[in-house]
Amino acid sequence: MTPAIVTADLAKQYGHVRALAGLSLRVESGEIFGFLGPNGAGKTTTIRLLLGLLIPSHGTAHVLGAAIGPPGTATRGHIGYLPGELSLWPGFTGWHTLRFLERLTQQPAVDRDTLLERFGLSDADLRRPVRTYSDGMKQKLGLVQALQCRPRLAFLDEPTKGLDPLVQQAFYDALADARAHGMTIFFSSHILSEVERVCDRVAMLRAGTLVASGTIDSVLASQRRRVRIAFAKATDSSSLDRFGDVRSRTESLLELLVARTDVPELLRHASGFPLEDVTIEPMSLEDAFLEHYR
Amino acid sequence: MTGSVRTVATLLRHAWARHRVPLLPIALAIGLFQFLLTRLVPAPNEVNWMGSLFAMLPEQMRTLIGNDVALTPGGFLALGYSHPFFILLLSAWIVRVSATAIAGEVGTGTMDVLASRPAARWTFLMAGMKAVLLGLAVIVGAAWLGTAIGLRVRPVGITGTSLLPIAAIAWLLFAAFGAIGLLISASHRDAGPAIGWTTAVIAGSFVLDYLARLWSPIARLRPLSLFRYYEPQAIVASGTPAHVVVILVLTTVAALLAGLAILARRDL
Repeated sequence: MTPAIVTADLAKQYGHVRALAGLSLRVESGEIFGFLGPNGAGKTTTIRLLLGLLIPSHGTAHVLGAAIGPPGTATRGHIGYLPGELSLWPGFTGWHTLRFLERLTQQPAVDRDTLLERFGLSDADLRRPVRTYSDGMKQKLGLVQALQCRPRLAFLDEPTKGLDPLVQQAFYDALADARAHGMTIFFSSHILSEVERVCDRVAMLRAGTLVASGTIDSVLASQRRRVRIAFAKATDSSSLDRFGDVRSRTESLLELLVARTDVPELLRHASGFPLEDVTIEPMSLEDAFLEHYR
Repeated sequence: MTGSVRTVATLLRHAWARHRVPLLPIALAIGLFQFLLTRLVPAPNEVNWMGSLFAMLPEQMRTLIGNDVALTPGGFLALGYSHPFFILLLSAWIVRVSATAIAGEVGTGTMDVLASRPAARWTFLMAGMKAVLLGLAVIVGAAWLGTAIGLRVRPVGITGTSLLPIAAIAWLLFAAFGAIGLLISASHRDAGPAIGWTTAVIAGSFVLDYLARLWSPIARLRPLSLFRYYEPQAIVASGTPAHVVVILVLTTVAALLAGLAILARRDL
């Protein structure tokens, strides 16, 4: 099966500012792919490059098998997009917005009614001009316009921003439906628990550079472990420092971040100390995220 | 209907939805203005009196008004088609539609939602140009209709048909300004600067033509102004020179091609 997204050395430079540096990425069809990174890491730049909104400074990318830019124009009929900073026409009603964007997509809005019901947007809501909408309602309308034509690939940039927990749950249900329909979702988010919950694979960006990618399990497995060693009595544990980064130390407690492969060796050395307890915690995605961006 | 044609049609409807509200008052105002001018056309028994009044004006002013042609019904009515009120309302339409077509959508962020659809970049420019042309046709058509109805109500020896070439050249002139406006819009990220530059081009062109007609040291610069090629009274007196049509059409095409080239290479 053709991958949904393939990039090779994709880069974007604004004068002397490097927004994205040599991104090589592959997103398979039908997967939910999480794209993580702090503000300014290059997530939105990547999405806008893949949609042909930006001209790459270097590298290539293919989306749904077509090269980005003019060759990919027709392909965009099968792509949905929710921008991170969603702007709509304030004077248009919700209905007008959805129907206009459906016509422009040139695909029937087969999922519109289901999505409207799921997100609780009523006919009365949709008859009002968008300027009267709250941020949450605007975001819901944004989600509907992105998914209403059942795209083969959807780029969702911070999709749950401004949504209350109930609507967030409705969004996760919509993602489950999308997955069932074989849709590929490229999902950018700051909410790591959300990414951990819904994504099959993740990639992490820092300052325009890819720092980790793979399944969530493999990303976590490659991260260091938090090892906490409690001693039965006051102990000089400085000889254990070489196994990792010391996060905290008292006479009776040592906490280290240790590479997974170094853990057995650390335990072997630690066994010579008066141990009271040892805990080894796998890192959460949040820990991994912070580890990369500290 | 092919995909691109359908896209242009959809974007044109989008432009119509955004701009239809001001179009109607502009068209009504301009039609009423031209209608009222037909009430002021000097009757045959008033021409001598008007002529002596006219002779008292400085020579430059007489040149601007159109010399003796202005005393004929056709010449007098042609003045309405170069009047600042007429120019201002057509300019307002051009500036509004062209600036919002690209720079406006980019500036507000709505271009992200539009350009992520299967819409080639050139379709935004083409839809903008069509909106400019159709709106101009409505406004110039309303102006001509005002004149034609006025001449039916108060016959002064000419018909509205004789003023149709003026309306057609006005349409061509502002189509050229519209294309320049779209070129400017394609080069900017916000509507504000695009509005400023388009207004400056139209106003600068108008002022240059005006001054070059009054002040001989800069008379040679007059061909640089597009208003040089729009002389309603000359059209009444001696018809439409073919080179005027060619120059205005070429300007429109050149500006559109430049706009397309810029739009194809820029970030949205």
